[in-house]
This record gives sequence, structure tokens and C-alpha cells, in this order.
Amino acid sequence: MIERLPSGVFADPFELDHLLHHGAYAAIGVFGDTNLELPSVSSNRSAVEIHMNFKHNTSSGAMSELGIRIDLPLHARYAPLHESGYSEVAFGTPDLLVSCSMEGSSEKRSCLIVPSSDSNRLRTDVVVWKIPCGIMSYTNVVSVVTFATALVSTLVIVLPSVLYSKPR
Amino acid sequence: MTAKAPMNLRRLLIGSAVFRLALILYGEWQDAHMEVRYTDVDYLVFSDAASLMASGSSPYKRTTYRYSPLLAFLLLPNSVLHRSWGKFIFSASDLLVGYFIYKILKQRKVAEDLCLYSVMVWLLNPFTFTIGTRGNCEPIVCAMILWILICLMNGKIIQAAVWYGLVVHFRIYPIIYSLPIILVLNPRYIQLGNGMEASTRYNLWTAAKSMFSKERVLFGLVSGGIFFLCTGLFFHLYQWEFLNEALLYHLTRADPRHNFSVYFYHIYLQYGRQLSLVEKLISFLPQSIVQLVLISTFAQDLPFCFFLQTVAFVAFNKVITAQYFVWFFCLLPLILPWSDMKLKWEGLGCVGLWMGAQLHWLLWGYLLEFKGQNVFLQLWMASLVFLLANASVMAVFIRLQRFSPIFLQIKVSDSKSGVKSQ
Repeated sequence: MIERLPSGVFADPFELDHLLHHGAYAAIGVFGDTNLELPSVSSNRSAVEIHMNFKHNTSSGAMSELGIRIDLPLHARYAPLHESGYSEVAFGTPDLLVSCSMEGSSEKRSCLIVPSSDSNRLRTDVVVWKIPCGIMSYTNVVSVVTFATALVSTLVIVLPSVLYSKPR
Repeated sequence: MTAKAPMNLRRLLIGSAVFRLALILYGEWQDAHMEVRYTDVDYLVFSDAASLMASGSSPYKRTTYRYSPLLAFLLLPNSVLHRSWGKFIFSASDLLVGYFIYKILKQRKVAEDLCLYSVMVWLLNPFTFTIGTRGNCEPIVCAMILWILICLMNGKIIQAAVWYGLVVHFRIYPIIYSLPIILVLNPRYIQLGNGMEASTRYNLWTAAKSMFSKERVLFGLVSGGIFFLCTGLFFHLYQWEFLNEALLYHLTRADPRHNFSVYFYHIYLQYGRQLSLVEKLISFLPQSIVQLVLISTFAQDLPFCFFLQTVAFVAFNKVITAQYFVWFFCLLPLILPWSDMKLKWEGLGCVGLWMGAQLHWLLWGYLLEFKGQNVFLQLWMASLVFLLANASVMAVFIRLQRFSPIFLQIKVSDSKSGVKSQ
């Protein structure tokens, strides 16, 4: 599965490596911008490729569905400022490539699954992540109050120091 | 009826060592069996950097490795012996800090039981024993700072200077101690070689001689030499990567991501905008003023000066992470014997205020990080409260501390070697 991450969302390669060692995936790789610290405006997009192995029992001969769930931990970057206080990030549908083989048969069959444009068959809703962000209109108030508090704290420390009397 | 065996330093250190060993072993188990690691993320960074160094590569190929190559070098056995080698080193440093606290207090003629209680304040602090066992390298820095104090108290200026140059290379923040150290190396209190002749005249010449005394010049030259030697050597080995990651990053760091600092939201809201010179100076001013006032008032009581400076440095810094707290936790036991603070209720009040402000911030941090709620404003206000709490606790300490200089004035007429510490 290839999950192309939208701008503002990233996967931590070290975290995924840890999960890989715990057997969560068969293999996993992150491509693109893997910087863990930069905010959204200073970073680029990335993609995650996940390999998983599944067994599906079709001995009954009847058609059956295979439900697969893959958990991928993601992190939000610090989003650009917005008056609503939230930045919305929409996820597209991942690309799937399935390689399958029948037990007892040496023949392997591969197929590429492409998401159908028929929304009834798609069976996925658009996933939107609302990421909290700063509000620009608060900028001046925050700056003034921050520096005022720093000044008050300075006085709280400086005054007792200046008034401190040392024994002779 | 048997007498209860008195607590002594040996028992305390052995017990603390056994407990830390158990925590390291537990940490290995948790890392292997649970998704949430016990080990600090930074330890994995150090280990990866050490592996890279072992294979002949630059440790700075490991993203977010922002430390001296010395740290990666220290952890080379992680790849060869066992991945927990570093944790043992850090925990051993933690125990060494406990021993140094005892040594310093004993030299300052503190009673045995008070020495041991002070050592317990460090060794039994949950923050202390988790930080080393989780793989954080700060205990090494703490041990070096305390060793520098011991060297200064014993008049070993060159040794103190060597370790000081090394610790500033390792972690940079100890540069704030340079001025008080220089001030305390006053020829009236500490001299190398033969004593100075007493003089009743104090003129420009004697003032200049005093300001640029042999001790001060030697300390400055040796510590500066060591710092630049390390910087030059590692620049030669790792080029600009070393300079940018290990040095310049820390000097220019302005992280917009939420942390305990009051400045985080201001930095986030201003991110990408070029700040004016006035704005840059304003953010620098509170820290500078506080540091200068504390140094000029308390320099002669060096441990107390270090403690106050460190609390202030952390509190007014542009970025504050929890690991910085250990920088002053190791100095706190050195000042307690001279504090008139009673546990009930001044002491408990200070602990409650400081912890409460921290927990309050963490609550909003949890809602932001794990519940995705927009609580930036509340989180920022919590950081304001935390700064005010730090300042208030400092004010209480200042008010209740008995000034205790580490050096007495030398009696020049009968002194050959020049140190008299108290």
C-alpha cells in the first residue's frame, strides 16, 4: 500500500521502524520530507509504502470478502495560521498492489487495484483531519502579554536580589 | 534490642545503584514488550549516531543528533557490548553527582545527617533516577559542573578550567557560569603561589592587577583553549555539519512547537516573519538583566549563584524541555543546608507551586497533542503561569537563603598557598 500523505502530515520513520521490529508490518518505508520538526510552511510532502502479508481461506469455494485493516501512526505538523483555529487536511485514497498465490500452486498472480470512480464501490469516505493551529489576530496581544510577563518575572527576581542583605 | 544501623553514604549509593540497575532492566523489558518505550527517544538518537561513528561515518548523518561527537564516542560500546551501555554510564554519572554533593557539603563543614538528607534530595528524586535510566545524558553534565566546583574549592584552577572548557563544548549552557567563576577567582580570596602583599592603597593599577589576576587569566586562557581546541578538532573532522548541529543550532534555536517556554506561541505566530532588531533585543533583555543581577549579588556564594542562574536561564529560555530541569536539580542539594526555608509550609508550598504549574501546562498540552483541541491560548497562559511560578520560587529562595561565600578572605601576612575555602 502506498499512502501519499498530504502537506502538513508526516510519518516518523523511527517510530515505524520500532513497529516494524514488533512485527506490525512486513516492511515499511517513508519517502520524501522526513524532517520531524519543521512546521507545514517549511516542509514538503512525503509518502509511506507499507508491505503486509495476509492469508485468506477460500476452501469453501464460495466467494468471500477479505477485510484488511492497516494502522499507520501519523503526526501533524504545525499548520499555517487560520482564524478558525483549525487547519483541514484531506487524505486521498491510497494505492494498493496485491500479489497473491494459491496454496499448493506455484503460480503467482498479481493484480493492480485502482480505486473505482464509482463512489458506491469506493466504500471510503474522504478522510479529513482538523489540525489545531494558531490564530493570527492574537499575534499582538500574545507578544505584548508575553513580554510583559517576562518583565514582571524579571522584577520578581531582581527586587529581592537587590534588597538582599549579606552578612558582614 | 538491636540498634538501628545508621544510614550512611555507602548504603545510600549502593541502594540507589541497585534501584537504577533494576530500572534499566525494566526499561529493556518494556521496550521489548510494549509499544510505548521506556527509553528516551534521544537515547536512540545517541545510539544511532554512535553506530554511524563506529562505521566511520559522521554522527551528524543521524537526523536530530545535536550534541558533541564526544557523546557518540562515549556510546561506541552500545554497538559492540550492549545497547544499554550508555544508560549505565549516565546512571553512574547520576550516582557520581550524589557523591560529589556529599563531598562538597562535607568540605563546607555541613553535619553528616544534613549531608545525607541533601544527597537524598538528588538520589531519591524520581526525576533524577528516571532521566539517567531512560538514557538521557544530562547527569554527565551535572557531574562535570560539580567537579568544577570541587576543583575551584580546592584551588585547582587549571583542572577546573580544563573541565569547564570541556563542559561548555559539551552543552553550551554552562557558559552562564563564566562570569561568577571569574568573579570568585578574586585574588583577595584565592591565589596561586605566593600570597599577594597586603596593600592599603587601592588605585587604578591595583584594580587592574586584581581584575586581570594570574588566576583569572589562567582560567580564561585554559578553558577557552580547551573549548576552541575541541571545536577546531571536530570542525576538522565533521566540517559545517558539526558546527551547525552541535553549536549554532543551540544558539539560534527558536522552536515554534509548544513547550514550557512563554515565547513558544509568540514564535509560532511570528514564524516566517523577519523580526526587527528591537523585537530581538526585547526577548533577550529579561534573561540578560536577571543573569547580571544574580551574578553581581551572589557570585561569592558560588553554588547558590549557579542554582539561581540555572533556574532563571531555563525559565527565560526560548525553548524549555523537561530534561533541562535536572541542570538545577543537581545544584539544589548544595544550597539547602544554608536555607532558612521550613518544609512546612514554605518548602512544600514551593514544590506545590512549581509542580502544580507544570501539571497545569501538561494538562493543556495533552488536550492539544492527543485530543487535537485548539487550546493554544490556554497552553500559552499556562506557560506564563509557569514562568511566574519559577520566578516566585526563586524569590522565596533568595529571601530565605543565608549568604555563604565559598571562600574566606585570605590572611595575606601568613599565607603561602592561596586558598582558604569554607
